This record gives sequence, C-alpha cells and structure tokens, in this order.
Amino acid sequence: MLGPDVAWYVAVAAVLFGIGALGVLIRRNTLVVLLSLELMLNAGNLALIALSRHWHNGSGQIFALAVMAVAASEVCVGLGLVVALNRRRLSLDVDTLSELRG
Amino acid sequence: MSTLVAASAGNVLVWIVWVVAVFSCLGSGIAVITFSNPFYSALALIGNLGSLAVMYLLLSAEFVAAAQVLVYAGAVVVMFLFVIAYVGPRRETPWSGGPSWQTVGAVGAAGALLVEIVVAVGMQANGSLHSDGKVGAAFGTPAWVGRVFLIDHLLAFEITSVVLLIAAVGGVILGSHTRRTA
Amino acid sequence: MLNTSEIAGSWLCLLAPLGGTILITLLGTRIPRVAAGWIATTSVFVAFGGAIWAFVGVHGNPTDASNVHCVTNAANPVCGGSGEITTAWTWLQSGSFHVGLSLLVDPLSTVMMLIVSGVGGLIVLYSIGYMDGDDEERRYFAYISFFVFSMLLLVEGGNLLLLLAGWGLVGLSSYLLIGFWHERPSAVQAAKKAFVMNAFGDATMALAFFILIAHTHSLAFATSFAAVPHLSGTAVDLVALGLLGGAAAKSAQIPLQTWLPDAMEGPTPVSALIHAATMVTAGVYLIARTHPIFEQARTIELIAAGTGALTLLVAGLIALVQTDIKRVIAYSTMSQIGYMFLGAGVGAYSSGMFHLMTHAFFKALLFMTAGLAIHALAGEQDIRNMRGLGRLMPFTKWCFLAGALALVGIPPFSGFFSKDSIVASTAALGTWYGWIFWVCGIAGAFLTGLYTFRLWFLVFPGEPSPFVREHHHKHHGREGAWTMLVPVGVLAVLATVGGWLQWSPQWHPFSNWLEPAARTLAVAAPTNTQEYYTSVATVLAGLAGIAVAWAIYSERKLAIPAAPFWRRTLEHKFWFDELYDAVFYKPAAVFAAALRREFEEPVVLQTGPDLGRTTLETGGFVRRIQTGLLRTYVLFLAAGAAGVVLAFLIAK
Repeated sequence: MLGPDVAWYVAVAAVLFGIGALGVLIRRNTLVVLLSLELMLNAGNLALIALSRHWHNGSGQIFALAVMAVAASEVCVGLGLVVALNRRRLSLDVDTLSELRG
Repeated sequence: MSTLVAASAGNVLVWIVWVVAVFSCLGSGIAVITFSNPFYSALALIGNLGSLAVMYLLLSAEFVAAAQVLVYAGAVVVMFLFVIAYVGPRRETPWSGGPSWQTVGAVGAAGALLVEIVVAVGMQANGSLHSDGKVGAAFGTPAWVGRVFLIDHLLAFEITSVVLLIAAVGGVILGSHTRRTA
Repeated sequence: MLNTSEIAGSWLCLLAPLGGTILITLLGTRIPRVAAGWIATTSVFVAFGGAIWAFVGVHGNPTDASNVHCVTNAANPVCGGSGEITTAWTWLQSGSFHVGLSLLVDPLSTVMMLIVSGVGGLIVLYSIGYMDGDDEERRYFAYISFFVFSMLLLVEGGNLLLLLAGWGLVGLSSYLLIGFWHERPSAVQAAKKAFVMNAFGDATMALAFFILIAHTHSLAFATSFAAVPHLSGTAVDLVALGLLGGAAAKSAQIPLQTWLPDAMEGPTPVSALIHAATMVTAGVYLIARTHPIFEQARTIELIAAGTGALTLLVAGLIALVQTDIKRVIAYSTMSQIGYMFLGAGVGAYSSGMFHLMTHAFFKALLFMTAGLAIHALAGEQDIRNMRGLGRLMPFTKWCFLAGALALVGIPPFSGFFSKDSIVASTAALGTWYGWIFWVCGIAGAFLTGLYTFRLWFLVFPGEPSPFVREHHHKHHGREGAWTMLVPVGVLAVLATVGGWLQWSPQWHPFSNWLEPAARTLAVAAPTNTQEYYTSVATVLAGLAGIAVAWAIYSERKLAIPAAPFWRRTLEHKFWFDELYDAVFYKPAAVFAAALRREFEEPVVLQTGPDLGRTTLETGGFVRRIQTGLLRTYVLFLAAGAAGVVLAFLIAK
C-alpha cells in the first residue's frame, strides 16, 4: 500500500473525533453543536473505511454509507428542531434549554 | 529497478497528498469548533469533508469519496447554510459560559478519549495494522459497492432507507407551520 | 393406526363443556338464566355423545384395544397403556424433555369419559331445576361445565403433566363450586379448606413427577412406565408415595379426608357431581392409570389399600352420628372410596373401577334424592326434623331406597356386584394383611347397612313430623321440576341394573374391557369359591346392619349404647380437625404472631419510613446532577465512554 499505514489514518480519525467531541461539549450554539457532531461521525467513517481497506472487507464501506444516511437523518431532524425553536422565538443557546433541570 | 523508483516516486507523492489532506482535515476541524459565527463553521466543514474525501480515495474507497462530496458537501452542508441564513446571525463567544467545571471536564473527557484511542491503535499497530499492499481493482468501485450493498447487506440497506424516511417525515413535521405549541 | 372416531370423539368430548363455559361467560346477561342451564346441559350431553363415539371407536377396533404397548423385560412385563394417543401440538419443550397436548383414548379413559359425561350430564340437567331462582345461575352453570371439562381433561390426558393440569383444574373448579354461595362464611371456609387440602396432594404429585422426569426424562405414560423398572427401589417408592398423596387428597382418604364433609356447603348437585360421582374418584383412576408404577412399589400400593381399609371403617363409624343428611352421604362416599382404594391397592383395578362406576350411579342418586328432600323442605338438612317424608314424596322415597340398597350391596342392586368382588380380591391375597382387609371390608358392609338405613328410617317411613308438615311444599303439584325428577329416575334405574354388567364369578365383560389398560394382578384374582363366600358374608353383614338400624331407629327396640366417650369421638370425627388445628394451625399462628411482634413491628414497620427518608435525601442530593444543561449530560456520556474504553484497555 502506498502512503502511510492504516494505523495513521486511524490516528487521524481519533484526533478528529476528539476535536468533534470537544466542540459538542463546549459550544453553546445549537448549530455548531450539530456541525461538531458531523465531525465526530466523519471521524468514525474515516476509521471504518481505513479498517475496511486493511481487512479487504467491503462491510466497512457499507457501514460508512449507512452512517452517512444516519447523519443525514440526524441533520434533518436537528435542523428541523432549530427551525422550530427559531419560529417560537426561543434562543438557540443549548444552555437556556434547560427545562429538564431536576 | 525502474519499477522500484516509480513505486517510490508514487509513494512520495501519496505521502505528500496525505500530509496535506491531514493538515487540511484537522485544521478545518479545529476551525469548525472555534469560529464564533456558525456560517464560517459550516464553510470550514466543507473543507473538512473534502479533505476526508481525499483520504478515502487514498484508501481505495472511490464510491464513498464521491458520495461524501455529493451527500455531505452538496446536500447536508448546503442545508446547514440555508438554516443558518434563515435563523440569522447569532453570535456567541465560543469559550465561555456555563459552569467552569463544564469546560474543564469537557477538555478532560475529550482528551482522555483521544489518548485512549491512540493508545489502543498504538497497541494494535505494532502487530496487525501494517497493510499488506494490494486490493483487487474492483475494491471500492460503485459496481462493487452496489453488489455488496444490495446483495450482502440488503436488510441494512432497507433499514437505512426506512430511517431516512422517518427522519424526513420528522423534519417536515418539526418544520411545518401548522403545528402549534402543545 | 389412526382411528378417526376415537380422535374426533375424544376431542369433542373434551372441548364441548369448555365451549359451554366460554359461551355462557361471553353471553353473560344477554341470555335468560335458564338458557345458561340448557347450554351447560347440552354441552355436557354433547360430550357424552363424544364419549360414546370414542367408545365405539375403541370397541370396534379390537386390534387397537388389544394393542398393548408392553415393554417386556423378562421378569415383569410393564404395560404402558393401550389405545390411541392423539397429540394436538407440542405443549412445552425443554431439551429432550417434551410434553404434548395429547389425549389418550383407551378402555380405561373411555370408561371414565362415559361416567363423567353421562352422570355429569344428568346432574347438570338436575341442576336446572335445583338452582332455579338462584341469583347467579349463569355463574353456576359456567363453573359446572368448566368442572366437567377439567375432569375430562384429567381422565383423557395423554401424559402425566396433562393429567396434573386436569387435576389442578378440578381442584380449582371444585373450590369455585363449593364456595358458590360466597355470601356464606362457612361455604367460603369449606372451599378454602378443600383447596388447601387438595393443593397438598397436588404438591406431592408434582414432586413425584419431578422425580419421574429426573429419572425417566418423560411424563408420557408409555415411556415413563417403560422406564420405571430400571429405577432404584427408593425412587419408585417415592414416586408412588407422591402419587398416593395426590390420590388420597383428591379422594378424601385418611389423613387428608377432612375437607369432604365440609364441602357439603356447596349446592347439592355439586355434591353429587364432584363429591360423589366424579372428582373424588379421581384418586382411584390415578392408581389404575399409573398401576405400572404402583406395581413396582408394591409396599406403597398396599399402603394405599390399607388407607382405603382404614378410611372405609372410620368414615362408616363417623357417618353413624351425623345429623346432616348430606354429611351422612358424604361420609358414606369416603367410605365407598375406601373400598375402591382397597380394590385398586391390592391390584384388582377393574373391580375398583367397576365400583367407581356403580358408585357414581347410586351415590349421585342418593345425593339427588337428598336434594329433592332438601328442596321440598325449603333448605332443611337436619334429618332429626325429617321423619315421615316418604308419605309426601313417594317417588323420592323409592328412588332413595334403590340407591340405599345399592349402597349396602343387597342383590340385585348394583353395589352388590361391584363391592363384593373388591372384598373377594382381598381374600385372594391370602396373606395376613389380606385377611385384615377382608375383615375390614365385611365390617364396612355392616356399617354401611347401619348408617344408610339409619338415614332411611329417620327420614322416610312413618307419619310426617310436624316440621315436615309445616315446611313441605310441592313444586307445581310434583315432587320437583321435571328436570330434577328425570335424572333421578334414570339414575335409579342405573343404580338398580347397572351392576348386572358384571358378576365376577360368572361373567365379566367390564374386566375384559379394561384388561388391556389395567389388568388385575394375578395375586388379587379371586377364585369362585372366594367370591361366593365373600358375597354371602357381605350380604349378611349388610342385612345385619339394616336389621340393627331397623331395631334402633324404627322399632326403638334397641337403645343406642350410651358410651359418651365414643359418641363424642365420632361426633368430633375422630378429632382430625382438632388434631390438624393443634399441629399445623396453632404453631403457625403462634409463629406468625411472634414474627409480627419481633420482626414486623420493630424491623419492617420501622424500616419503611427510614427507607423513604433516605430515598428522599439521596434523591435531593442526586437531583443536583440534573442541571438541565444538555452539555452536562453529554459530558457525562463522554466521561462514561472514556471509562468504558479505559476498562477495555486495562482488560486487554
């Protein structure tokens, strides 16, 4: 295989996943949280595809495609929520949406 | 000899492409979570997705790379941009607010996950994550993916389609004007 | 070989009463009360038709009837029953052990099907008249057809588990029927008592089945019986003992007999159906059905016979002092079932089953005539008030007399033919205990004559007493509704001629019929000489009993011996209730009180509030984690994931 070993791809995926996780944990803007979620999902996809290449097994790619579909669904619902929040003149700051406080 | 030189030349080229892609990927990722304006974040996500598609190509996953560009960059991000434009500019200072232990904990947890994955990969890399070179020419091509998807994983395919359908219906309901506060 | 009429007949027989129950329950108040009675009656008579159908199938299929599934091992052939097994589906399966929902149609089960559905049908018909005007007739008829279904399940079940299911269901339906008049505390008590006593028997049976499963991996009759000879003696003894426990509880044999007299709290047709004709005889059926097990545990089988002998004496003695007409008959039932146990226990299964059949006729008849009397006297059951009823109710009187003579065993009434061959079988044993059983049987015959005709002389002959004159009322100018009189008449005829089916010394089609399913042991097959002298002895003893009863209760020539201790003993039914009260109830009550004082009040009642307070405090503390901030939740999620991955890494 030309270029770096699969291990390096997986390491990149790990770092990307960490960045995405940090974004989800820290950012308060709903839209950015959703974008960060996309980062995490893509990190997972990268690992899946790299390992699929490593094991010569197509299932990893299929799984990545399924993840894309799920990500699209998630964006669809998430953005729907954002639009609904906006229509009700609610803040998009996740910290203000705290009605579940015990 | 000449094939070896050609191979090593190709190898260098691949390394260069890879390094560029990785930097672009991680850089745009960091950009996504640091920009205070979500519009810029979404634009940065396009860069991130594009560089990932390059890496998919290096991993002989042509179909997924194409799908990545079409579905993500083409559809998902565009949808993000629409919504961001619809919602209008809302600024926040990214690194503040909430209880301070939240931020500390967030950095800690994300860092811990990162370290753990790297350790796990490292443990594995010594042994079995050396790649052994070639895969078949068909690997990753649309025809091959189609066959695997629709023959070996037909159920997964159908379930995915149902999930998409449900999400579409959910999105329509959430965004519909007629729905009043419950 | 598939035999349609056996299969169809047996399923029709089983399911028709269940259908009746369901129909009555679903239709509820949309049908008039009397319609419920007719649905129940029809369903049980349909079941009788199914039983006849199956009977014809078995009868017309001699290869099938004699197709005995014997597993011959040199010493003792074990016959696992004959006939047709029809399986609807596999009921439950666990590894190699599986139980099918299957019915067994063989000579033994067809006889029981005929008795249960035939006599049962007559009794249900009688109920229509007897229960007329009760507030909850529909419930009654739903229960009673459910009971017939349960009983048919018991006798038709193609394996021991299905038999146990039927066994439990008859226990349940008898509980429901005994406690039918649930506004009477005594009825509720009696129902509970019957249920608990029967549950004890169910438990011992279940334990026996567990042992059987552990050793033979099967509850199907044929396979488990085939495996029984390979079991250790102890295991077989335990299995037989467990089965005997179940049989004794259901058939009200000592020491589990105390529930039967109390069960007379139920409506009289219930007493006739459950406590005379069908359910209480299930124990005899069980012994006959599982005789391969009992034959391998001969000691236990003889204990069963001894139990029967003891019960027939004790019950006969207690019956002498009872004053409630139904209780007298109830003790007589216990006593007669003692005879059946005696017969089945010594190995004369067909004699036991034959007595079961004739007993079903004459005892149902006695209960139903008693019911006519009770009905005509507006619920009065005390025989001391009843003198001279015969003048007003001649039909009842003569029918009762037929039943009484059959019960005492005076030829040519049916009891003569069935009871005598049981006693003769004990003589055939020829051993010391055989002769003890024989003497018990003869003494029992004397007691039977005495208590039966005590009842007769106290109730029917002579001038009507003032009480009778005052309370007696006719039903449309007759002694009862026609639905009550017809079954009584039919049973009176059966009680008279039913025994002619078989007179062991000369002809024995009944035994021949049962032979493939339950062959009489060679040791218990009496010679003709034994039959004859036993018959003479029992008939003489019965006549002596009648004569003594006549002398004491009719002519007042003999005084009742004044033996206050014995009298009190009998009136207290040998103090069985008091004994069980002292041995089981009192310690349990004391223990429970101590638990309440020492444990519940200081520990449980204190713990409750403590527990609540602690929960509240913990909840208040934990509540603070619920910040409502999405990001906090995600943080916990991420931290948890990190922890899990860490655990995996460490494990690696």
